[in-house]
Amino acid sequence: MKPAPFDYLAPVTVEEACAALAEAGGGATLLAGGQTLLPLLNLRMSQPFIVIDLNRVAALKGISRGQACTRIGAMTRQCEAIASAELARALPVLVKAVKHVGHHQTRNRGTVGGSIALGEPAAELPATAVALDAIIEIVSVRGKRETAAGEFYLGPYMTTLEPDELVTAIRFPDWPQGHITLFREVAQRPGDFALVGLVGALVVEDGKVARAGLAWFGMGPTPIRARSAERMLLGQPLEAIEANAVAERAVADTAPFDDHHASAEYRRTVGARIFARTLREAFPAKEAA
Amino acid sequence: MNAPGVGTGRYIGQRVRRKEDPRLLTGRGQFVDDIVVPGMLHAAFTRSPIARGRIVSIDTAIARDVPGVHAVYTQADLAHFKVDMINFYLVSPAVETTPLANGRVAYVGEPVALVIADSRHIAEDAASLVEVQYADETPVVSIAQARSGAPVHPATTSNISAQMGEEEPDEELEALLRDAPHLITHQVVHQRISQSPMETRGVLAVRDGAEELTLYITCQSPHLVARWVSLALGLRQTAIRVIAKDVGGGFGLKNHPWKEEVSVILAVLAFGRPLKWIEDRYENLIGANQSREAEMVLRTAFDAEGRVLASHGDYSCNNGAYPQLEECNIAVHMFLWAAYKMPRYGFLTRGWYTNTVGLAAYRGPWAMESLIRETALDVAARRIGIDPIEIRRRNLVRLQDQPTLSCMSIPIEDITPAECLEQLVQYFDVAAFRKEQAAARKAGRYLGLGIATYIEPTGAAGSIVTMTGELAQVRIEPTGRVTATMSTHSQGHGTATTMAQIIADRLGVPYEDVTVFEGDSSRGGFSPGAAGSRQGVVAGGAAIKASELLADKVRLLAGHLLETSPDLVRIENGMAHVAGKPELSRSLRSIAEIAYGEPDRLPPGLEPGLEAQYRYQPPPMTLASAANACVVEVDAETGMVKILRWISAEDCGTAINPAVVEGQIAGGLAQAIGMVLLEEMTFDAAGNPTAATYKDYLLPAISDIPDFEFVHCSTPSKSVGGMRGVGEGGAIIGAPTLVNAIADALAPFGEIPLRLPLTPTRLLSLIEGRDLAAKVEHPQPEEASAATAAADTPATVPAPVDQPVPAARAPEPAAPSGPQIDGDWKMVLSTPVGPQAMVGHFETDGTALSGYLKSEQGSMGFTGIVEGNRLKFDLKVDKPMKITLKYDITIEGARLTGKVKMGIFGTAKLVGERG
Repeated sequence: MKPAPFDYLAPVTVEEACAALAEAGGGATLLAGGQTLLPLLNLRMSQPFIVIDLNRVAALKGISRGQACTRIGAMTRQCEAIASAELARALPVLVKAVKHVGHHQTRNRGTVGGSIALGEPAAELPATAVALDAIIEIVSVRGKRETAAGEFYLGPYMTTLEPDELVTAIRFPDWPQGHITLFREVAQRPGDFALVGLVGALVVEDGKVARAGLAWFGMGPTPIRARSAERMLLGQPLEAIEANAVAERAVADTAPFDDHHASAEYRRTVGARIFARTLREAFPAKEAA
Repeated sequence: MNAPGVGTGRYIGQRVRRKEDPRLLTGRGQFVDDIVVPGMLHAAFTRSPIARGRIVSIDTAIARDVPGVHAVYTQADLAHFKVDMINFYLVSPAVETTPLANGRVAYVGEPVALVIADSRHIAEDAASLVEVQYADETPVVSIAQARSGAPVHPATTSNISAQMGEEEPDEELEALLRDAPHLITHQVVHQRISQSPMETRGVLAVRDGAEELTLYITCQSPHLVARWVSLALGLRQTAIRVIAKDVGGGFGLKNHPWKEEVSVILAVLAFGRPLKWIEDRYENLIGANQSREAEMVLRTAFDAEGRVLASHGDYSCNNGAYPQLEECNIAVHMFLWAAYKMPRYGFLTRGWYTNTVGLAAYRGPWAMESLIRETALDVAARRIGIDPIEIRRRNLVRLQDQPTLSCMSIPIEDITPAECLEQLVQYFDVAAFRKEQAAARKAGRYLGLGIATYIEPTGAAGSIVTMTGELAQVRIEPTGRVTATMSTHSQGHGTATTMAQIIADRLGVPYEDVTVFEGDSSRGGFSPGAAGSRQGVVAGGAAIKASELLADKVRLLAGHLLETSPDLVRIENGMAHVAGKPELSRSLRSIAEIAYGEPDRLPPGLEPGLEAQYRYQPPPMTLASAANACVVEVDAETGMVKILRWISAEDCGTAINPAVVEGQIAGGLAQAIGMVLLEEMTFDAAGNPTAATYKDYLLPAISDIPDFEFVHCSTPSKSVGGMRGVGEGGAIIGAPTLVNAIADALAPFGEIPLRLPLTPTRLLSLIEGRDLAAKVEHPQPEEASAATAAADTPATVPAPVDQPVPAARAPEPAAPSGPQIDGDWKMVLSTPVGPQAMVGHFETDGTALSGYLKSEQGSMGFTGIVEGNRLKFDLKVDKPMKITLKYDITIEGARLTGKVKMGIFGTAKLVGERG
C-alpha cells in the first residue's frame, strides 16, 4: 500500500492548475481533500503520472452569496460547510447532507467540490446538488463552462468533466425561506456510504406544492432525480398527498444494483419506505387507504 | 454490583490505572514498525492473482533491474532451507506447505516471490514487475464445492483435512431423536471473519553474526515464536531472540509465524542484511489467515416440558488451503452440551480444504457450540411455548449438581452459568421488558430480548504440548523497588498491570513500585502467552506464589536482622514491621541493601539477594461461566438493528482488576456484534476475496457498540488466586445473545434463517416474507437508462458460491467454427478500479482474427490469432500509462471467458455473452 511513483505539483492559482492539467494530457489527478484519492493511490488502483494538489489555490475556497444563489468554492472543507451560518440559513438540507459525509475527522480534510466531482453514486452531496438544481462551475485552459448538476453525472465515478477540466465552484440557487427539507439515509454504520438515501426540498404556496426537487443516492449508477414523484407532488394540496403512492412512483425512477452490502430489491423496498416516512414526517400527508 | 473479587487485598480486585496506558495513549508504544536498525531493507511480496493453478514460469529479471532492488527470491531460491511449517501443537502439516508457492498456487494472495529493496515503495514497484505465468484451474471455494470438487492438494484424495465422529447414523440416538415429543433441527452458517488486529502482521529480522537471529515480531508469545522458529527452521533456539514489546492485537492470528514471516526470516538468512516486512491492510485482508467459516446442523430432542433428551451435531469448517491448524474443531462438540444435563450426544465433524487463504484461530475458535446451542434453545422455547429463561433453568447443570461428567465425559466442576443467569435476571427486570415489548409491538415497533449462557475452558495447562505453566521471577532490587520478569505477553491484555497488582498485593509494596517486564524471549521462561484465556489464571498463580516465596525470604531476613521471629514480621507498603514494635520498622530498601551488599549479616545458609521464582502448574482446565442479556430494536421498514442495552454477568472468579476484565469482555462483545451484524469475508466464484478493504469489510465502530453493563459473579476457582480466564468469553457468548434478541424481536415474522451476518437485506427478507436478495425484473426507468449498463453488469453481482463444481473438468468442447465466434459480444472486464463494460466485435478468417473493442472511452481495432475456440490479441493503450493489454479469450457456446494481462496491474478477468 505504497503509491506508485508520481510527480507532485502544488499550484497557487487556478490558471496554474489548469495549465498543469492541460500539459499532463490526461495523466494527472487532482488532489482536493484526499479522502478518496489517497487510499486509491496507496492501493495502486490509481497510478497517475502527476498529482496536482489544489490545497494552496486560495481562489477555490470559501462560501459566498451570488445573485439569488449561494456559491461554494470547490476546495471548501466539508467541516466549513457545516459551520457556515450562511449555508445553515440558505440551504439547511445541504448542511444536513454534509453532516452525513464520512466522519468528523474526514470532514476536516474532505472538500465539497471533491465529493461533487468524484461522483460516487451513493454519496450525499452529488444527489443534493442534483435535487437542488445546483450549477457546477468548470474551468480549463479552453475556458469556463457551467453545467447543471443533473447533467453532470454519467455513471459511477464518471462525469462530463474532461481530463483537462477542474470544478471551481458549485452554485446552489436560493430556495425561499421556510421551504420544506427532506433528508434520510440508511447506512449500516454511521459515516458509511448510504445503502439508500434521499434528499430534497419542497416549496409550499397557498397550501399546495409549488416547487419540488428530490433526488436519490445509492439507487443507481448516478444520483437520480425523482422526476415522476416531483410531477405527482406539484400542485397538490399537502393534505391530499398520498405518501406511499408518491414513494412508489419515486422508486420507479431508480435503477439500483446488488452489491456487497445490499441487494437491489432491498434498496427498492427500503427506498419506498423511507421516502414515504420522510414525506409523512415533513408534513401531515394522507395515509394510503 | 462490581464485586471487588475474592481474597481482596490492597490491590487485587482494584481498578488501578494501567501501567501501559501513558505510553500507549501518547503514541510512545513500541510496535514492530517503530523499530529501525542500521542497514535495514524492506520486503514486499508478489502474490497470486488466481485461486488455483500451476505456475508455468516466474521471470524476476525486470523486477531485479529496478534501481534500489537488492534481491528477488522465489521458492526455488529458498528451497535449500528445510522448513517444517508446524502448527500450534508443533505438528507438521498434512500437506506440503512452503513459505513461498512451490509450483502451484492455492489461494488468491498466496505469496509467490519476495522482493528486497531499499524502501517499501521500491519493493512494491518491483513486486508488481515479477512476471508469473499461471495455468488456471477451477478453484474450490465453498464447503459445498469442497465436498464434490477436485482435491485442492494434488497429493490428497479428497478435500477432507480432518474428520471425527460417526459417519454412519447411530440408530439408538436416531430413535431417541425421532421419538421425542419435540425435535428441533437448527442450522447455522457462520461467515468467514478477518481477525483484523489493529497492528497487522510484521517482522524485522536481523542476523547478528553467524548463528544469531533477532526477530522483532508482532506475536502472542515471544517464547513460543522462538521455540516455533527453532523447530520449524531447524535452528538452535539459543541462536534466536524474539522481541515484541507492544502488540496491537492478536486474537489467534499471531500465535506463530506463517508463510510471510518465515519467508522474511529465510530471506535474511540468505541475504544477510536486516529486513523488515510490515503487512499492509490490503495484504492483511486477503493474505493473512482468517477464521470461523463453518456450517453446522444441530438436531436436539426435548421432552414435553423442554428438557433435553438427545442431540446430534454435524459440523463442517472451511480450513482454506494452508490452515494454521488442519482440524475439524472437536472442541465444538466437547463443550456443546457440557453445561447442560444432556444425556446423549453424537456428532460428525469435518474440516475441508478449499482454495481460500487458510484458517487460523480467532478468540473462541470453537464458539459455534455456544452460538448453535443457545440459538437452538430459543427456537425450542418458542416452539414448545416456554420462556427462554425457563428452558435454561430446566436444563443447566447447577452448582449443587456438581461435580459431574458431561455427555462427552468432560469433568464438570464449579461451573456457574445457572447462577450467573439468576444474577442476571435479578439485575434486569424481564417482566417489565416484556410489558414494554408488548406495548411497542402494538405501535409497530419490534423490540427483542436475547439471553444466552455459556461455559468456557480457560487456563489450560499440561494437556497440550505448548500449553504449559507460567513462570514468575520477582526480585526486590537493592533500591527497594520491585521488578518482575513474567512469561506473559500482552497484546492489549494489560498483564503489566494485573501482574504488578498481584505482586504488590502479595508482597506488600506500593503498586507504583512494581514494574513487570515481558515481551522478550531472552527474559523469563517459556509460555504460550495469550492463547486460550489463560494468563490471568496461570501467570496470576505464578505471580502469587513467587511473591509469597519472596515475602517469606524478606520476613526471614528481617526477623534475623531485628532479632525477632520471622512470623512476627509483616510487610506493608514497602516496609517491614514487627508486631507491637513500631521502632523496629525497616524499609525494604534498607533490607535489600543488606541482602545484596552485606552477605555477612545474612542468617547462615540464606542465599544473598532478594529474588524468587515460581513456575505455576494450575489444574489442567479452569472453567469460566457467564450469562448475557441484550435488548434490541429492529426497524421493520429497513431491517436495521439497534442495540439498546447489553448486560454481561460473568464469573471469572477473582477479578484481579475489574476494569481490565470489563475491557476484555467489551472487546469480545464488540467482535461478536461485528460477526452477527457486519463483518463478512466473501469470495466470488473464482475465489477472489471481495471484501478486500474496510469499505467492504465492515468492522463495528464505536458508534455500533452500546455501553455494556457488568455484573461480576466472582466464584473463586481452584487455581491459586481463584482466577478464571476471561479473554475470549465476550466473543463467544456475544453472538448467541444478539442473535436471540433479534430473533425475539422478529418472532412475529417467523424464525430467522441463521446465515451470518444478519444483514439488513436478510432481516428485511424475513420481515417481508420474500427473498430480497433474489433478482427481480423491473422495467428500466427512462431517467436512469443512460447509465445503467455499467451498474447492471454481471460482475457486480456476487456469484453464488454454493454451486458444486464438477469433480473432473468438463471435456473441452469441440472447436467452434467461424460463425460461432464472429460478431458482437457484450463483455465485462474486472479491472482494479471496478468492472468495465464493453462490446467486442470479432471477425475470423482461418486462424486470423480482427475486430474492435468499443466502450464509452471509444473504439480500438486489433488483429490477432484464433486457436480453436481461443482468441488472442494485444491492445496498446496510453492511459493511465503506456501498457500492452494481452487478451486471451475462450468461447464456449454463447459464453465467453478470458483474462487480460495488464502489465503492472496484473491480470484481469473477462466475462461475456452474445451481444
